[in-house]
Amino acid sequence: MKNPFQIFVIIAVFIAILMAAGLTYAASKDAVHTIELPKISVELRAGDGKETTERFCGICHSLDYITTQPPFSKTQWTATVNKMIKVMGAPISEKEANTIINYLAAEYGTGSGKERSL
Amino acid sequence: MNERKFSRRTFLKTAGALSAAAAFGGIPAGLFGSDRKLVKFPEKTDLILLTSRPPQLETPIDYFKQYITPNDALFVRWHISNIPTAVDFKQWRLKVGGNTENELSLSMEDLRKFEKVSYAAVIQCSGNGRGFFEPRVAGGQWGNGAMGNITWTGARLKDILGKAGLRAGSVDVSFNGLDSPPLPTVPDFVKSLPVDKALEEDIIVAYEMNDADLPMLNGFPARLIVPGWYATYWVKALSNITVLPKPFGEFWMKTAYRIPDDPCGCVLPGTAPKKTVPLGRMTTRSLIITPGENAVLSANRPAEIMGIAFSGGYGIRDVLVSVNSGKSWDEAKLGEERGKYSWTQWSYTWRPASPGKYALMARATDNIGGSQPLDSIWNPPGYLWNKIEKTAVVVK
Repeated sequence: MKNPFQIFVIIAVFIAILMAAGLTYAASKDAVHTIELPKISVELRAGDGKETTERFCGICHSLDYITTQPPFSKTQWTATVNKMIKVMGAPISEKEANTIINYLAAEYGTGSGKERSL
Repeated sequence: MNERKFSRRTFLKTAGALSAAAAFGGIPAGLFGSDRKLVKFPEKTDLILLTSRPPQLETPIDYFKQYITPNDALFVRWHISNIPTAVDFKQWRLKVGGNTENELSLSMEDLRKFEKVSYAAVIQCSGNGRGFFEPRVAGGQWGNGAMGNITWTGARLKDILGKAGLRAGSVDVSFNGLDSPPLPTVPDFVKSLPVDKALEEDIIVAYEMNDADLPMLNGFPARLIVPGWYATYWVKALSNITVLPKPFGEFWMKTAYRIPDDPCGCVLPGTAPKKTVPLGRMTTRSLIITPGENAVLSANRPAEIMGIAFSGGYGIRDVLVSVNSGKSWDEAKLGEERGKYSWTQWSYTWRPASPGKYALMARATDNIGGSQPLDSIWNPPGYLWNKIEKTAVVVK
């Protein structure tokens, strides 16, 4: 036969276990919902201006924004790069923009002949 | 054609049996090059990778054999690269203010206290089908997989705005999410609706997709649902609703997501429109899901042609099917309809008499007579794709 103190201890331990379980549940309920995005690297084609293109275009978006586009004329690539600067706020100087346009027209353009191997 | 019910089970079984294993079924080989590969993002199944930062992921169309698109298979599309990857449920608040009587700061618990509304609705990216435009246009080169049919549950926007109390002279309501620009010079992704539109009964702030939490990449913890309209308005990870006493006029309304101001929303291929208006309601369309492109069928055996059809919120009146490149058309059997915003499954039994090559076509008409063009329309941003597509099959 247990004395009242032993019964008190047993009940106290039991309540403590319940509270801990409750807290754990509350913590899991309130936990920050987090995901980790996969890192996917994209290699641009070798060519003059590749590094400049990677450095500046890569500030705001992955380079598959370039590689998944249809082959465009130099006029179209010029319009796209200008849109990025004037409309989307890309910090690219005129000199760098020219390097990027020439690279894109050469490696991802209609005139490059490379679209056939896409 | 009065039989409006056919079992989903039959649909799935037959569809599965006929479908080629190709995950990219329906996308002409070679159109998108070899760069299209499957990729696994958190809380998502393997999807077709368009871009990774910010992510644009496309649903393989085999998933559209299912009436409801699973949460992990729904397409993903973000605009600016600082996307939310962590949300603290305790801290998250939906703030409502601007030209209102009260400023609200709603917790998820508060949001769930509004009357709960639930319906199935097609979510479709404005650029779905852009990859088929000819001449080709810049932007995400989607096939037909930037859409899905989901059961959305949430609170009416009207009720939320009612609690805030609109002041006289309200013109637009803007919607911002937790995503933010990578540089201060990049325009934040914010959309707006005219106040009359925003007060429509069916627009909700959804906190459940198919009775579960939204995946982070689809806008956890809540997103705007504007059923019948393109998904550009369905702002993800919604954080701020602002009532404005003047037109909104920022970049993502004033410059982006606009179509030629013309009944067809189109211009002559390769030309620029004189005037544009914001994109809105989805065009009516259908899609053959099975048999897939270049499937091989047997002569003198019944083959089930199956697909989906939907409109900008009017429900589907009928779907016509042609097995002879459009020379003659016959009515398909429509499946169960779960409301005007949902897509409808349809099926048509075809018994090809002789071997050869065939082009299968489907054409949907909605309940107000809206339908699909035989020739594709064209506009510079590549929106409103709803051409009657051809699926080539071989009968042996």
